Amino acid sequence: MSWNRVAVIGAGLIKMGELFDQSYEQMAKGAFDAAVGAVDLGFDPSLIDAAFVATQRGTLWGQEGIGGNTVPSALGLAGIACTRIENACPTGSDAFRVGCMAVASGVHDVVLVIGVEKMRDKSAEEGLLARAAAGHPIYTRGESAPVLFAPFATRHMHEFGTTREMLASVAVKNHHNGVLDPYAHFQSEVTIEQVLNAPPVCHPLHLLDCCPQTDGAAAILITSAERAAEFTSTPVFVAGFGVATDHPYLHEKSTFVGLPATVLAAERAYEMAGIGAADIDMAEVHDCFTITEILDIEDLGFVEKGKGGIASLEGDTAINGRIPINTSGGLLAKGHPIGATGIAQLTECWWQLREDAGDRQVKLNSGFALQHNVGGRGSGVSVVNILTRNP
Amino acid sequence: MTCFVQSVGVAAGRWRLPTSDVNQAWGRGGGRGQSAVCGPDEDSLTLAWQAADRALDAADLAPETVEAMWWGTARPPFAEGPSWTQLAAVLRLAPATHGFVVSGSSHSGIDAFVAALDALESGRIDTALVLASDAVNPAVGGVFEAIAGAGAVALVLSRVSGAAVVTGAGSTWAPVLDRYRGDSEDETRETYDGRLFREQIFLPMMAEAAGGSNATRWSIPDPDGRLAATVVKRLSVVDMPPDTLATLVSSTARAELGDTGAAAPWLGAAAALTEPGSLAVMAYGAGRATRFDVDVTSPVPGADRVAADLAVSQPANYAQVLRARKRLTTTGESVEMAVPPGSAMFVRGNRETLGLLGGRCVDCATINIPPSIHPACVSCGGTKFDEVQLARTGTVQTFVINHTMPQPFEAPLPLIVVDLDDGSRIQLQGATDGSDIAIDTRVELVLRRYTVERGVPIYGWKVQPISAGQPIEGASA
Repeated sequence: MSWNRVAVIGAGLIKMGELFDQSYEQMAKGAFDAAVGAVDLGFDPSLIDAAFVATQRGTLWGQEGIGGNTVPSALGLAGIACTRIENACPTGSDAFRVGCMAVASGVHDVVLVIGVEKMRDKSAEEGLLARAAAGHPIYTRGESAPVLFAPFATRHMHEFGTTREMLASVAVKNHHNGVLDPYAHFQSEVTIEQVLNAPPVCHPLHLLDCCPQTDGAAAILITSAERAAEFTSTPVFVAGFGVATDHPYLHEKSTFVGLPATVLAAERAYEMAGIGAADIDMAEVHDCFTITEILDIEDLGFVEKGKGGIASLEGDTAINGRIPINTSGGLLAKGHPIGATGIAQLTECWWQLREDAGDRQVKLNSGFALQHNVGGRGSGVSVVNILTRNP
Repeated sequence: MTCFVQSVGVAAGRWRLPTSDVNQAWGRGGGRGQSAVCGPDEDSLTLAWQAADRALDAADLAPETVEAMWWGTARPPFAEGPSWTQLAAVLRLAPATHGFVVSGSSHSGIDAFVAALDALESGRIDTALVLASDAVNPAVGGVFEAIAGAGAVALVLSRVSGAAVVTGAGSTWAPVLDRYRGDSEDETRETYDGRLFREQIFLPMMAEAAGGSNATRWSIPDPDGRLAATVVKRLSVVDMPPDTLATLVSSTARAELGDTGAAAPWLGAAAALTEPGSLAVMAYGAGRATRFDVDVTSPVPGADRVAADLAVSQPANYAQVLRARKRLTTTGESVEMAVPPGSAMFVRGNRETLGLLGGRCVDCATINIPPSIHPACVSCGGTKFDEVQLARTGTVQTFVINHTMPQPFEAPLPLIVVDLDDGSRIQLQGATDGSDIAIDTRVELVLRRYTVERGVPIYGWKVQPISAGQPIEGASA
């Protein structure tokens, strides 16, 4: 039996991209309006009594750690309770999880979970790449974001015969899905050859194996399952969730062919939802790099360990495949505005479960959709949320 | 005399810069020869470490038994600062070890030797480590720039026994100006007038310091590539028995590396320590000339690998060298290290990072790296640890080559996860471009300068394949 104590009543996002013409606050307002506008039976924003803001790196838009918790001001909601959540790449998905607990506890009635991230106000060199100089002065020096995942590609290729073509097939599929998603940063197809011939970023990953740096925002409105009918006749329920951690340094990894935090988070979410991987109709998973999606679909139990590459190449994860993955285009095509990413993924799951996904719509069998992020130092934290249309 | 040479080790900057490449850039034709130049992650400290590591290995001497270390270099990494202690930390010397850095001229290498000699002869200590290294920033555009060589030599000296023994000495001085670097200046300037230096300073002073020796083989520093041969020729005429010829043993190292300054005397002699017989080692710098005579009774351990160690090198062009010396810099912002070099994190972490230490869990034997950030074991959660020195050899578990790096990083930069031979696992930068790295490659850890942050050199260990020619037996532990 699924948890189902909380319902999603509205969700929305803004078109992802290099949004040089929009401020952090304007992006937040755009996503908020989209979520409010998506509530079937209409929604009065004054019902919101708490907001959880997901922003991972305030420094990227000049806010050194004070940004985020005053977002309600930009939404015309100044005065309500607001807490900023930061939990690495799962920042958005964890803010959602925390928001659900706030509702389930009975402390708050109607909660806004909103993810906003400015990735492009700073140059790439001063932005995420500067991470290479952070952390331990020797043991992580040079560890920019691709370094957290590329060693897994090297080892996965070595142990399972995974090829660069298999990695490339993930990018080809997700760019194809992105063309079908009007909110995606990239709106163009890529070919296997283009992925293979792109410039190297972090061997063995090349440019199109990597997600872009994207500005974006997404918002979700949640309330208790009991109150959902006030807002919609087709509510989506929170079936379960899980969060798990791992050691912070790459040299402390027990394996380089999987991410234990994902495995643990998934176990907990499946147990809470009372289901298994076979019950999932579609999933939005963390594909910051092509290899990450291959690790994810193995760690989440959709394919056998070691078979993620061949499953991708053979189309198992396409929209019409056995287990559709990243129908929104994923981080690779839709983009990865960190704090907004998880909430945008949940929005796609919400659309899919309500059969509102248009050309991207998957066939629903069991009525469950899964959303997943993994990241942080040493990919040391993962969050899995499971939504369902089953009451 | 009671000073024996137990072993020798050498090192040189990994690049070889053709003299002609520098000359061409300044519109001067031709130029033969080459010089050894530091790569961006090398300096006088990393070279001194490399030579010392090889000498200790050749002597089969545990670092903690070294009683004192003297290090002579014209270019210590800190003009004022922890040069000696950081080197002691990477060598894992015992806390009671004493000694100092001596600097100020290219004579400083022999000054360090004298300090050790005095301590050994006084009977105060039995075992000393003497290091001489040179890696200057030569003034751009001059003749010296093309011949300045980066090199290092290390000797393990003993009061008790050794394959060679010091038998005599001579010296002189004069208050003259030749190669110099002013206070707060970064570039070492060359001699004001080459002919003046040759005729009025170098040749007469070296002749005076050489007087009284009857050595048949000579190591003589050579500021212009011809002077050492001239000294030897004059010796043969003046001082040697009629049917003996003095030979210059330092010419091979000079041709391979250039003028290695403070390191030149013993670096020039190192390969000759394989052959029994008499040997004179001369030093010159800043108006001082000094000679020591050595009687080699049997091959000095380590001397047999000198040629092979100096042969490991890569060609480099002038532009690469200018970049490495920070004479050619890019525009744009450089990314600062998140932790300032003088901060508490470095005070806590320097010893364990430089000394390559781990905490072995008493309960499950997992080695946690580094100890200061692991109050609980990553495997079992245990809280009792024994401090261990990590192995310096291992096997590649996995790796990446980072091609997209902001300043001050230089791509391609390999980052390598290594399973060390003691069962621990560590991630470090590669000391190579990564083209020679694969999963399961056998590798060794070498000391390199990771960066210069806010003016402070930051040292750490890097990974490179164990080269076929130079196994480092005994380096693990």
